Amino acid sequence: MGAQAQGEGATNMTEAIGIVAAMLSLGTPLVIAGTGEAVLERTGVLNIGIEGMMLAGAFAGFFVCHATGNPWFGIGAAVGTGILLAMVSSILVLGYAVDQVVVGTGINLFSLGATGSLFVAQFGETGRLVSVQTVPKVGGVWALNPLMLIAVCLVLGAWFILKKTNWGLAARATGESPEATSAAGFSPIRIRTQAFLFAGATAGLAGSYLSLAQTNSFAENMTAGRGFVVIAAVTFGRWMPVGASFACLFIALAYGMQFFSKAKDLPVPYQLFDALPYMLALAVLWGVGGGSAAPAKLGIPYRRNQE
Amino acid sequence: MGRETMKYFCALFAIILSIGCTGGTQSNGTAQDAKPTPAGPIDGPLKVALLTPSSISDSGWSALAYRGLQAIAAETGAEIKNAVAAQAQEAKDLMRSYGQQGFHLVIGHGYEYNQHGIDIGKDFPKTIFLSTSGSQIAPNVGCLRFYLEQAMYVLGAVAAKMSKSGTVAMIGGPEVPSIASTFDAFEQGAKETNRNIRVLRTFTGSNDDVGKAKAQTLAAIDQGADFVIHQANAAAQGVFEACRERGIMAFGTNSDQSAAAPDVVLASAVIVAEPVFVRVAKSIQEGSYQSGIELVGMKDDAIAYVWNPQLLPQVPDDVVQMARTLAQKIREGEIKVTKREF
Repeated sequence: MGAQAQGEGATNMTEAIGIVAAMLSLGTPLVIAGTGEAVLERTGVLNIGIEGMMLAGAFAGFFVCHATGNPWFGIGAAVGTGILLAMVSSILVLGYAVDQVVVGTGINLFSLGATGSLFVAQFGETGRLVSVQTVPKVGGVWALNPLMLIAVCLVLGAWFILKKTNWGLAARATGESPEATSAAGFSPIRIRTQAFLFAGATAGLAGSYLSLAQTNSFAENMTAGRGFVVIAAVTFGRWMPVGASFACLFIALAYGMQFFSKAKDLPVPYQLFDALPYMLALAVLWGVGGGSAAPAKLGIPYRRNQE
Repeated sequence: MGRETMKYFCALFAIILSIGCTGGTQSNGTAQDAKPTPAGPIDGPLKVALLTPSSISDSGWSALAYRGLQAIAAETGAEIKNAVAAQAQEAKDLMRSYGQQGFHLVIGHGYEYNQHGIDIGKDFPKTIFLSTSGSQIAPNVGCLRFYLEQAMYVLGAVAAKMSKSGTVAMIGGPEVPSIASTFDAFEQGAKETNRNIRVLRTFTGSNDDVGKAKAQTLAAIDQGADFVIHQANAAAQGVFEACRERGIMAFGTNSDQSAAAPDVVLASAVIVAEPVFVRVAKSIQEGSYQSGIELVGMKDDAIAYVWNPQLLPQVPDDVVQMARTLAQKIREGEIKVTKREF
């Protein structure tokens, strides 16, 4: 009887560890991308193209790692690809004041098509399930993924820069009133460009986590909407890197619960766990009283010479 | 009644009559009407098109159909075209366009294309619309159904025989009838080999989300599963990755996936589309094709299970022997493997 109870306890422990591991594994890419998106949205720019940047990063990382056998080169390539796409987006969005949703959608469609075509060109028309060198684990018995540690550093760094530096103050002001930032001697366009490149780098890094640290492979459209989840999480997290990270982890926890409930065949509909983060997001919105925390100029272009 | 009114009545009558006639010739969606229509041999090169629900680079379901299409081109010299058509409207537009371009055979790879074939086929009597699944036929609309369940049954038996924990798991992509049906067969094979085996059945809802496939597999392994079969198509690598991390074995599906994870994939349940596709294409070329519902399985060499040569030495002889005996019994019809109607 006692032994049986003990066995039961051990199983529950394993299950709990399994759910937490799933949360960290699924949540890390969301946290990484969410940090960049939160900083960017704070400056007043919405990056719908985050999904495409993640996918392009996932492919670039996979491709370079497959070619060189070194996952760190792959991660570098992924970050570079994210920055490149962010550069194109920022020229259109900030330089020419093209609609942000249109540019972002274009980036998403381009990435989906380009990565699909390149994957087929490289690995044959019928594809191959290819596996690549993985990022080595660190931390001894804990076997942590180094990208998880990078994620934590990113979140804390972004929080510090936004809250404690002059650049952060100017960045937050740009999201509220770029005219005022400009009058104070900062260039809103330059600040938004810098934030955009940072967001692109984090999106690319998040993509490489999917292909190089989590699954060690690539599949067409493997991001499967994670970029849009991140955009939702940033809103849920009230446009703050730390808040957005908790929102991302909460969504990942709901996924982990869902996988657990399906594997255990619990009499709970697994769709409930899918809906859980959004139900909580609605509750948060209701509680804090609407969009008061949203940057006032989110999604609105700034023109240098406007009167 | 004036002469003018009379004229209108005549015209109206003629219109009604003509609608009735055309209706009569078009309403031929039933099995009784599906008599052979000897079209005669085709002049010039055969033109064949393939529609798949996902990219042909998925190393699974869509990839195997594309290999079949390539075999048609190699064996009959046919002109081939292929396209991805995930949405119903997209599929219908493409089928109509292939019909207009005079294609002789349009293969829709999945049960969803069957209804489209019935709808579009009426307007293009010279084009054969073949769907790989489905149950509706017309003189130029046929179904070819792959009995993958037969191989899934054998793998289920192998899993149940070799499992030490007494738990095996099935990881599916979207929860659709075609996938659920193969899981039924895997479970049947497992239960008929070991009555007490626990078979976990899960779906991630996605064919390409590799991360979710891995997380779902890990959750199943946490529940004690020591053998895993998947129906996750392009996301399969996530399943294999989870199994590699925990040191357990998996089975591949649709195509031989031993090469994808040589240290993890013990065997695969495969569909071999080439011979059947080529046979159908040749019969259309000769003008002898008759539409119908054809179920092809192990006895047609369209379905098989393949061991991974690298891991085969680790399989006990009695398990290898059992798999062979079961396959033989399935071939001879002694074992009836379940298959859902869809």
